[in-house]
Order: sequence, then structure tokens, then C-alpha cells
Amino acid sequence: MSSPRPAGASAISLEDVRKSFGKVEAVRGVSLDIREAEFLTLLGPSGCGKTTTLRMVAGFEEPDAGRILLRGRDVVGVAPNKREVNMVFQHYALFPHMTVEENVAYGLKLKKVPKDERSERVRAMLEIVRLGGFGRRKPGQLSGGQQQRVALARALVNEPAALLLDEPLGALDVKLRKQMQLELKAIQHDLGTTFVYVTHDQEEALLMSDRIAVMNQGIVEQIGSPREIYERPATAFVADFVGVLNAIEIRVDEVLDLTAVMRLADGQRVEVPVPTGVSVGERVTVAVRPERVRVLPPVEEDKGSGSRLDGEVALVIYLGTLTQIHVDTALGSRIIAHRLSAESAGDLREGEKVAVEWDREDTSVLAEVEVPP
Amino acid sequence: MNPAVSNGGRRGLWAFFWLLVVFLYAPIVILVVFSFNDRILVSFPWQGFTTRWYHEFLRNSAMISALKASGYVALVTAVATVVLAIPASIVLVRRRFFGKGLVSGVLLAPLVIPLIVFGLALLILFNTIGIPLSPLTIMIGHVVVALPFAILTLVPRLERIPAWLEEASRDLGANALTTFRSITFPLLLPAVVSSFLISFTISFDEVVVASFIAGDQPTFPIYLYSQLRLPRQLPQVIAVAVVVLIVSVIVVVASEVGRRIADRRLERQIADFEESVA
Repeated sequence: MSSPRPAGASAISLEDVRKSFGKVEAVRGVSLDIREAEFLTLLGPSGCGKTTTLRMVAGFEEPDAGRILLRGRDVVGVAPNKREVNMVFQHYALFPHMTVEENVAYGLKLKKVPKDERSERVRAMLEIVRLGGFGRRKPGQLSGGQQQRVALARALVNEPAALLLDEPLGALDVKLRKQMQLELKAIQHDLGTTFVYVTHDQEEALLMSDRIAVMNQGIVEQIGSPREIYERPATAFVADFVGVLNAIEIRVDEVLDLTAVMRLADGQRVEVPVPTGVSVGERVTVAVRPERVRVLPPVEEDKGSGSRLDGEVALVIYLGTLTQIHVDTALGSRIIAHRLSAESAGDLREGEKVAVEWDREDTSVLAEVEVPP
Repeated sequence: MNPAVSNGGRRGLWAFFWLLVVFLYAPIVILVVFSFNDRILVSFPWQGFTTRWYHEFLRNSAMISALKASGYVALVTAVATVVLAIPASIVLVRRRFFGKGLVSGVLLAPLVIPLIVFGLALLILFNTIGIPLSPLTIMIGHVVVALPFAILTLVPRLERIPAWLEEASRDLGANALTTFRSITFPLLLPAVVSSFLISFTISFDEVVVASFIAGDQPTFPIYLYSQLRLPRQLPQVIAVAVVVLIVSVIVVVASEVGRRIADRRLERQIADFEESVA
């Protein structure tokens, strides 16, 4: 409904955007291309610059350097009320002295939309967020989840070029949050509006996004689909922030067909695909997700490919769906493996000798982050 | 019962409390009593009930015009003070800028400058630049005196209004002025009413500054003070004082009740936000 613009065109472009508050550099050179109708999440810990980035797009902060293009138009210096984006705030920011209807109609009224059309659009939008019949209430009479839906309706009714959401579910309890995540995703899909979503919750990001930009210390460390981010983390930070991860530092003993290998006694080894330019003797950090790690009895035959290390079970933790197994390996580092609890890890006891294995394809090398000057 | 306070201690506290009440209110009670005493000398014995002092002051045109002058000065002062205090408070609460401490110091300084010094200074200033003394000069002086009180009433309320409400309004397409008109001002209204009434009251009974810079038309407190020289006028001065007292008590109580009701309603709504923030 929002635009006849081709999908894949750029809704928002940031070009080397920078922002400091006093001596604190909040955003240190962010470049992003956000496509039309895309659900893009800025993911990172508090203080990583994600909210500042969003507020610069909204116009509440001005960048010190760089350009921000909204559908091709440079909006740096344009007041927030003159930008075709709308924001959903962390604390909803509903106007307490106005009814739900008045809140939602606020933007349309300012745009001088005729009264009949206005009330029709408000009514339709309240239906979409499943709040039909709540129009006459004041925000104070609504639950947190309902208030959040009003905030969503109030922004979306203006048919913005992009909707900016600043940790909109942060104030809700876990159960309601899960439900709202699915709802938000469905609304975004149905309306085809570009969503730029800020969160520090990696699960939320994985569940909702088309693409995720992982931010740390004012820069984007990796941008990609949830699958890429999760399975092929580019940096140690991304790997660590998005899910549980094993990071092992190895010294390369040989390089064969873009595979680096470290060899230990008794056929034990770690294999990892590497980019060109990695040479013998170099140290690299290898990442592997716990669910990719198999824990086997030591007598199990070595199939000869991938990585294999001998070790001893240090800890078995039951987590409901999953059981987490900590194994101290011959390499000296601890490897965490996940197994579905249904597959029974009950036979593993602490102190038991085991072997851990994973495939070459399930590992990646973590890059050092280059921090721009 | 609070076990930490002995029976003797409790009696002592009660005695102290009543002593304080008597100390605070006995003069006012005596004033009211004498306003009905049928005797030209303001002293006991009681000579019988009369309302003639009230009738007399109603016929006293000098007193009526002093009352009117004070009402007029206080009204204009209160409006001007509020109009100046609102933007000043917004800047102090919402903006970060270099020298903010200094600016707030300058705005609030009249609180600690002795009124008598300030009155004298104004008199010299007006003489020097050639502004004739009139109700206008009193208003100018009173705005300065009332401004810190108005600002100190508005600032805490403004601090309770989350800045993101204003951001949301801007985001939805409102410019700064519309945002103020439709978001900030309605939420600030209870404090605006309070600061108006405070400014009005301050101006209405301010005598020190006014006595320096009043022109030919005295304000009510100046007139009252000047009548003390004339013993025959004293009973009706007392009567008018009682009327002013009662009217101001009614106005203050009514506005305070109204403000509390409005305040509580808004507080509840703002509290909802804060709950969700926590």
C-alpha cells in the first residue's frame, strides 16, 4: 500500500554516517542500504550506536558527517516533521490526554486529510492492529501490548516511506513479546512497509528480520540474512553476540584447497575453510555452533573428514528442549555441544571420555574487526 | 499508637502543635473579631456586633480604587509572568547549552535580592531613563519578583512530561509550535494555572517594591499601610482586610483543589508510561 516503487530499490541509504556526543563517538562510520519493503534489524548491545543511528534517520539527531538518503533524497538537516518516516518509540509515547482515535489521527490531521477519509483510515488501521472498538479509550486504560499496537497504528496510518522501531517490545513481558513479534512480522509482510527495527535481543532479530545488521562500538560488523549471521558470523563479536558459539584459536599446520588444518596427536585435528592468503604458522580463530558439534563415544570410528578432538565431559546441563554438553578437549579449550533432549543425553556422565566431531562446512574463520580511524 | 513516643511525649507534641496553631492564627481571628466590633478604637472591650465598617469601606472611593488598581496590576503581572515563565522553563528543562547554570541563576536571583534594594534600584532606573511612575512600572517590578516563583512551579511539572512525547509529535509531522500547543501545553496546564495564581497573589499584596515605584495611584497594600496613620480609618481598613483574606482563601483553596484533580488524572496517565519504562 505504501508505494509503487520496485522492491529491492533503496528506501534508506546511510553513507559513512558519524555522530559523537562530546567525546563519545556513538556512531563511527555506518553505511547501510535498506531496501523497499525490507525488514531490517539493527542488532547490538546497549551503547553500540543502533538507537543513535535510528534517531538520525528520524531526524532527532543530526550526523556530524556522512549522508542519509530517504528514497534518494538527502535528508540531513531536514526537520523530523518534514521526513517521510515514522517512529515507534520504546515507551510508546502515546499522548496521555488524547483518546486512542485522537492519537492515531494526529498525523493525518496535521497533513490536513479530510475528516471523513481520516476517520475511515483510523478505523481501518485500528482493525489491522486488532484494536477495533478501542478508539474512545485513553492510553492509560490500555495494557502495555495494546498501547504498543496503538503506537504502531499511529505511525503506520501515515503510510511512511519506512517505519522506525526503537526496541518497541522492550517493555513487554516475555510471553506478550513473543506474540507481538509474530504480529509485527505479519503486519510488515501484509502492508509491505519498510521496517527498520532496533533491538538488543538476538532471538527477536533472527525471528523477525529479512536482514540483520550487527552493530558494535559504533560500526556495523556484519550485515546479512539471519541464516548468514547465525551460521557464518564474520567476526568474533557477531559470533558471540548471536547465540552460543565455540571459538577456538588454532595454529595452522597445513593449508590444502582453501582448508586450513591443525593436527594433534592420535589423528585429532581441526579443519576450517579459509580465504586465500592464510599461510602455515598463522593463528586463526575458528567458530562452530554447538548444535553442529557431535559428541561420540571415543571408540566410534573416525570417518576421516572434518574436525575431531578427544575430550572429557565436564558438565551436562538440561535446558528443556536442548541439553548442553561441555567437553574439555585435548586442545585445552572447552567445546559446548547441543543435543535435543529428546535424543537423550542422559547416558553421558561427567568425567566420561568422549570424542567431539563436526563437519568442515559448519566452521568459519572469524575476522579481526577493522575499526575505522 | 507509635510505641517510640511515650504518653508524656505525645502530650507534649500535641501542646506544641496547638501552641503553633494559636501563634499562626490568633492574629487573624482577632482581626476578624475587631472588624465586627462596634467601637472606633481597635481594642477590647467588645461593644457589640456591627457591620458598619464594611458599609463604610464600600463607600470609601479611595479604598475601592486602590483595590481595583491592585487587581489590575496583579492580573497583568500574572499574565505577563506566565507568558515569560513558560518559554524560560522549557529552555531550562529541555535544552542543553553552555552557561545554563548562569542563566538559571540570573532568572532565579530575584528570590534572594532584598525587595527594598530592588525597589530602590527600580526607582533610580525609571528616573534615569525617564519612565514616569504608574501602574505599568509596578507591573514591571512585580513581574521580576514573581518570575522565579512561576518558573519554580513550572519546571518540576515540565520535568515530569517525557521528552519523547514531544519527539513523537514532531515525528508525526507537527512543527515545534504545534507540538507545544497540542502536547506540551495541555499537559503543563495545571502548573500554568498554579503559577498564574501564585504570581497574582505575590503581586496583589507586594508592598515594598510597589511603594518605591507606584505613581499617584496607590495599590491596595500601599493604601492600607498609609491609612494606619489615621485612627478613624482603622476599623474599615480591618474590614477590607478581612474581605481580601476570605476571597483569597476561597480562590486559593478552589484552585488548589482543581489543580489536584487535574494533576492526579494526568499523573495517573504519566505513571502508566513510567511503569512500562521500569
